Amino acid sequence: MGKRDDGAGPDVLRRVGEASVLILISLADGPKHGYALIQDIKELAGVELGPGTLYGALDRLERLTLIESLPAEDRRHPYRITAPGAAALRVHLDSLERVSAAGRLRLQLGGI
Amino acid sequence: MNAPRAGRLVEAALRCYPARWRRRHADEAAELAMLLIRDGTPARSIAWSYLAGAAREWLTPRPGRRLSVVACALLVAVCSLGVSVALVASTQPARAVVSPSRPPAPAHCVPIPASHAPNAAPATDRPQPANREPGHDRPC
Repeated sequence: MGKRDDGAGPDVLRRVGEASVLILISLADGPKHGYALIQDIKELAGVELGPGTLYGALDRLERLTLIESLPAEDRRHPYRITAPGAAALRVHLDSLERVSAAGRLRLQLGGI
Repeated sequence: MNAPRAGRLVEAALRCYPARWRRRHADEAAELAMLLIRDGTPARSIAWSYLAGAAREWLTPRPGRRLSVVACALLVAVCSLGVSVALVASTQPARAVVSPSRPPAPAHCVPIPASHAPNAAPATDRPQPANREPGHDRPC
């Protein structure tokens, strides 16, 4: 998945794991802090991220400069998706869409 | 689980993270844990998640922490475990290897192997040194 490069660059999110992709999707509509991310992802995808998983993924995404942390509000750091993060998410979602479409087509052809 | 105990459990789990991570996230992570506990998430599952995260954090190579350092840390841990097992095993009684009827020979009577005595060839043309140690009027 994601091996095709349609001019939009390689799919850097191919190997970061589901949690990281869900975090990027959650941050796509605006900055959020840890608790808001967990709640949003639970609502969005039905996935309950553990706090250890959340901070591991946030660290990884920050190292890849796909997100950035904003100045702390109280003790919470809100995180924001960066321009490269948004571009990477777009490439990844396009790739998922292609695979999804191919899968649906094959199910139709197979008559299952 | 009451709130202070849950807090202590989470704090203990957070102490397992590397210092760099704690400086960056510890306050925020503790606050997030309290919010999740308030929502009904069991403190034990939060602590477990942080423990797993700490293990991943230590095992993931970082720019400042080379892979060799991580490998050395793992090697030391495995060696320590091996030494502990060996120590436990050595507490069992050892079998005697020396016959109890004959006491071990004194150190000066232990024959020196030829490989350790470079001038071991019999010096027939030189006078032999006399062994003046007590008890050498008879063979060992």
